[in-house]
Amino acid sequence: MAQLRLEDGPGVPESELLPAIVRSSDDAILGSTTGGMVTTWNPAAEKIYGYRAEEMVGQSLTILCPAERIGEIEETLGKIGRGEPVVHRETVWRRKDGSTFPVSVTTSPIHDDDGRLIGVSAIARDVTEQQQARTAAEFRRRSEGLERVNQSLEAFTYSIAHDLRAPLRALGGYSSALMEDCADYLGEVGRGYAERILAASGQMSELIDGLLILSRIARAEMRLEWVDLGAEVARIAADLQAGAPGRRVHFAIERPVQARADRLLVRTVLKNLVENAWKFTSGQDVALIEFGTAPAGDAATCCYVRDDGAGFDPDYAGKLFQPFQRLHAVSDFPGPGIGLASVRQIVDRHRGRAWAEGAVGEGATFYFTLDAEEIA
Amino acid sequence: MKARAILLVEDNPDDEMLTLRALKKNNIVNEITVAHDGAEALELIFSKASSGEPLPGLVLLDLKLPKVEGLEVMRRIRADERTSIIPVVILTGSKLDEDILAGYRGGANAYVRKPVNFAEFAEAVKTLGLFWLILNEPVPEFMPQPD
Repeated sequence: MAQLRLEDGPGVPESELLPAIVRSSDDAILGSTTGGMVTTWNPAAEKIYGYRAEEMVGQSLTILCPAERIGEIEETLGKIGRGEPVVHRETVWRRKDGSTFPVSVTTSPIHDDDGRLIGVSAIARDVTEQQQARTAAEFRRRSEGLERVNQSLEAFTYSIAHDLRAPLRALGGYSSALMEDCADYLGEVGRGYAERILAASGQMSELIDGLLILSRIARAEMRLEWVDLGAEVARIAADLQAGAPGRRVHFAIERPVQARADRLLVRTVLKNLVENAWKFTSGQDVALIEFGTAPAGDAATCCYVRDDGAGFDPDYAGKLFQPFQRLHAVSDFPGPGIGLASVRQIVDRHRGRAWAEGAVGEGATFYFTLDAEEIA
Repeated sequence: MKARAILLVEDNPDDEMLTLRALKKNNIVNEITVAHDGAEALELIFSKASSGEPLPGLVLLDLKLPKVEGLEVMRRIRADERTSIIPVVILTGSKLDEDILAGYRGGANAYVRKPVNFAEFAEAVKTLGLFWLILNEPVPEFMPQPD
């Protein structure tokens, strides 16, 4: 038998040295039959898996696998059986306590002196830490990417706010100047054209405002708190009634309706929906606007705002929440067409949904769910 | 008493022309000087301060300017005791909250968004003109300074 001499130590026979290496390894080193029955099990394997050697020897390797991965063991044993020298695999194995962890496994054949396959050895390393480090690095990389996108969005928004307005100011300004300073040369037709230029530039200015509002909602920082949505609706209703004492609108408001939400953002949702209801009931002598809760399904809260006003064609219900879409002529119901788009965006940010039901002349009901979650 | 001059700091020729027109339309007869970037504005103000010539009674200051930005122009006006009490009105196309805040923090006396709507624009300038110039009140020595 060969003697290996370690530099500073006494000579140790190879037959003792190899088991010593296996015993002191940090990696789980195990042997099995070609059929996958465990034959050897080192101390690191005991530590990593929680099974003692006497529990494991004679057991099938498959108890180390989550049920859905048992096929991997069969596949590896199959490859080795067909003569493949080494099989590497990154996978997930299971401890005695049922918990799972990521491992990197190297499986190799064991041959006897005549070259016959007599078993399989596997070296498995717990790579939880490496994987966590990889995940953290990936997370960092993505947040840095997001941060960059945010910054360029910020710059883009700033540019829209400042630069797009400059030529627009000139259009509006000079058309007004034309109407005032050159009214005599222009005549009635010319003044009419100048008026249209002025109106169009005002409209574009509203569109830009709308886009800025939407982009600000998308970037706004969320501060979740308990908000009584009913109380918010009552306040909005009181403001509307104070502003138009001549109108006869009854409000039926459920209170309290507590929800986790960003107060400013959810207020915008309610304001848009209630003001819409107010606007689309303006043709009626007496109108009813309701606020209440509906079964929420998976979400934390589901609310609705219902009116008995002009309603809408349900065929176009999907278009309602798109920016600058309107189902009514501006002359009938004015507004920049951004309200429901911001509703959807805010509800999205609260992990909720928004949808509408209604029919022409039969009123409309706008539903939204909120399911905001604290981000640690 | 002679009405004090207005310094308009504006790089966009359309905005300049429309502002000048609005001032004239509203019977503001003060002398109006135009600086087309921040550096020109500072040179104009500080050469007057050094030579003892009367300083502008009002600075209408755009925020986004070539060379030296509007906020920096205001900072330097506020930093020098000879010029620190000149009323500065931020005149800009933006209505971003951040700009308004930065403007006030930097010591602006008022903030006016350059409106696309001409009537609003005239009204805004007129209000400024009425307040600072048409009343023709000299800048009082004890005018409280913004923090």
